[in-house]
Amino acid sequence: MTAGRDRRSVATALAALVLLTAAAVAPALVGARPANEVPVTDLPEAGDSLSNPTADAWGQTPAKEIALASAPSSAPNANDTSIEAVSVRAARTDGRLAVRLRWADPTRDTNFTGNQSATPHVNSFGDAAAIQLPTNASANPGIAMGSAQTPVNVWYWSGPTAGQELIAGGPGTSTMVNQQVSTSATYRDGHWYVTFVRNESIQTANRTDFTANEDVQVAFAVWNGSNAERAGQKAVSEWQYFPFGPGPQGPPYEAILWAVAGLALVVVIVATVIGIRRT
Amino acid sequence: MSLQGEDGATVELADGIEHQVAMVMDLNKCIGCQTCTVACKKLWTEGGGREYMYWNNVETKPGRGYPRDWEEKGGGFASAEQAGQEDVHGEREVGELPSEEDWGRPWEFNHGEIFYDGSDESLRPQGEPPEWGPNWDEDQGAGEYPNSYYFYLPRICNHCTHPSCAEACPRKALYKREEDGIVLVDQERCRGYRYCVEGCPYNKVHFNVLKKKSEKCIFCYPRKEAEGPDDEVRPPACASECPPQLRLVGFLDDEDGPIYKLVEEYGVALRLHPEFHTQPNVYYVPPFAPPQHTEDGETVDVDRIPRPYLEELFGEDVHDALDTIERHRDRVRRGEDSELMDLLTTQDLARQYRLEAFE
Repeated sequence: MTAGRDRRSVATALAALVLLTAAAVAPALVGARPANEVPVTDLPEAGDSLSNPTADAWGQTPAKEIALASAPSSAPNANDTSIEAVSVRAARTDGRLAVRLRWADPTRDTNFTGNQSATPHVNSFGDAAAIQLPTNASANPGIAMGSAQTPVNVWYWSGPTAGQELIAGGPGTSTMVNQQVSTSATYRDGHWYVTFVRNESIQTANRTDFTANEDVQVAFAVWNGSNAERAGQKAVSEWQYFPFGPGPQGPPYEAILWAVAGLALVVVIVATVIGIRRT
Repeated sequence: MSLQGEDGATVELADGIEHQVAMVMDLNKCIGCQTCTVACKKLWTEGGGREYMYWNNVETKPGRGYPRDWEEKGGGFASAEQAGQEDVHGEREVGELPSEEDWGRPWEFNHGEIFYDGSDESLRPQGEPPEWGPNWDEDQGAGEYPNSYYFYLPRICNHCTHPSCAEACPRKALYKREEDGIVLVDQERCRGYRYCVEGCPYNKVHFNVLKKKSEKCIFCYPRKEAEGPDDEVRPPACASECPPQLRLVGFLDDEDGPIYKLVEEYGVALRLHPEFHTQPNVYYVPPFAPPQHTEDGETVDVDRIPRPYLEELFGEDVHDALDTIERHRDRVRRGEDSELMDLLTTQDLARQYRLEAFE
C-alpha cells in the first residue's frame, strides 16, 4: 500500500516536471508567430519569377491567412462587402520585396472598355486589391488611410486600371504618384492571385522604405467589383506587420514568464493531487 | 448667402460663391428639334467614351426620359435642411446607378454599306435590335384622342446651389466654381467611383468608361470666358444654337438680368423637381397647351396638360406661374404693356444673354 502510494507520488512529480518543461520550451520549438506577423521568406534564387502570381517559388513561402471585414467608412453601403479573407505570402529577393495576395472571388471583373463604340459598362466596377503601408516605416498611422500627420503609401491594383501607387493622408485624399511598384494578376479557379513587387530601398520621399531594420506595419484591402465595391466600401484587414526588425522572436523575459506559468500549473496540480489523497 | 434685391426678393447663393450663372428655358417654345443636343454633342461629347452621353438632351414629357426613369432613381437630399448642412455625406439620399440599357447604347448604322457600297438595305441600327434609347418614347405623351398631350423638356446639368453630386463624392472631386457657381468634375481628383452619378437626382453626371472618370455639362465655360477664336463672350452652345431661341442666360443675382426678373420678380420660371432640394439654377417657364376638345371638336374649358402633372414636375408654384403668364398675356391682348411678355418674346440678344454683368 505504502509502496504503491510512493510510486504514485513519483509518477505525479514526473508528470509535473514534464508539463513544466513542455510549457517552457514548446512555444519556442514550434516557432509560433505573433498573430499579426506576415512572414517574409528570403528567396535569393527566385529572382524575377516572384512577379508571376502563380510561380512555383511562391510555394516555398508560408501563407498567412488574414481575416477581412468591412472598412469603417462613410461611403454608401460601406458595410456591404463580400470578401472575407485574403491569403498573403511575402518574399525577398535581390533587394526587392514581393507580396502576393490570393483571395476567392467567383466573378472576374476586369476590363469594361471593349469596343469603343460598343455599349459602355457604365455601372460595372472592377475587382481590386491594395496594400497599405506607413510612408514612414516607423510610424503608426490610423488604419483608415492614415492622416495628414501620418500619411500612408498604398500599392493598388485593379482589373481595369492595373497597378497604381498612391499616397494618402486620410479618407478621400489618396493621390496617384509616380509608380514604383509593379503589379501582376492572374485569375484561376475562382481565385485572384495578385503580386506587388518593389525595391526594398527607395529614395523618393513619402514612400515606405524597408531597409531600416525595423518591423513595418502593413494592412490589406480587397474590393469585389460585382458587388459594386469601390472607395471606402471595401473589405480590410487590421494592421499586420512585416518582421524586418531585429530578433529575438519574443521579449527577452519570455522564457522566465513561461517558467513561472508552468511552475504555477505544477503547484496547482500537486496541491490538488495531495488534497484528493488526503480525503 | 442670401442677397436682398430692391424689390424685396432674396436670392440664395451657395456659400463662397460670388455669382451664380443660371438659365431659363421657356417650354412653350421648344419644338423638340434636338439642335441643342447636337450642338452640345458636336462640341463636347463626340467620342472617346462619350458616345452614349448627352450633356444636353431633350425628352418628351410625360415620358420616361434619359436615362430611362431617371426621376425614380433617387439622389438629392431628403429635405432643404439637409441640403443646407455643411457636410451631410453619408446621410444623403443614395440614388441608383443607371444601367447601360437605361442610357441606351450608341447605335452603329450601316451608312457605309448604303452610301458607298451600293447596298439596297434600309438604314438601321446594326447589331442586336435596340430595345431602348434616348427619345425611345418621343412624342408619345399621354392622354386620349382628341385630348392627348405632350411637351418637350430640354435638360442640362442644373449647376445646383446645393449640388448633391458634389456632396456625394468622398474625394471632393466635384466642386462649384467660386466666380460663377458652375459645377465641374476635377479630372485629376476623380477616381471613377460614380457616387456623383447616383447622387445627382437629375442623372446629369456621366461616366466615361475609357477615361474611367465622371464627366458632365460645363455650362460651356470656355465660351463664357471668350476663349473662342473671336474672343467674344458667348452663351452656352445649347442656348445660342436653339432655333426658337427658348433659352435666356445670365446670373441669378444680376437684378437687371432676365433670370432674376423671371425667377425672382415675376416667379414664372420654376425649378424642375424642387423636392430633390438641390436648388437647380436652370429654370423652366411651364408649358401651356390648347384647352381640351369634346369628341365633336368643341373647345371646353379644361386644361389639356393636367395641372397635377405640372405640379409633379415643377411644384406648387406652377399654378401662380401659369396664372401670372395668363394675366400678362391678357394685358398684351388688351394692348397694354408687359415687361414680362417683352422679356419672354425678346429678340434682343443683349437682353436674352447677359453674361458680362459683373465684369
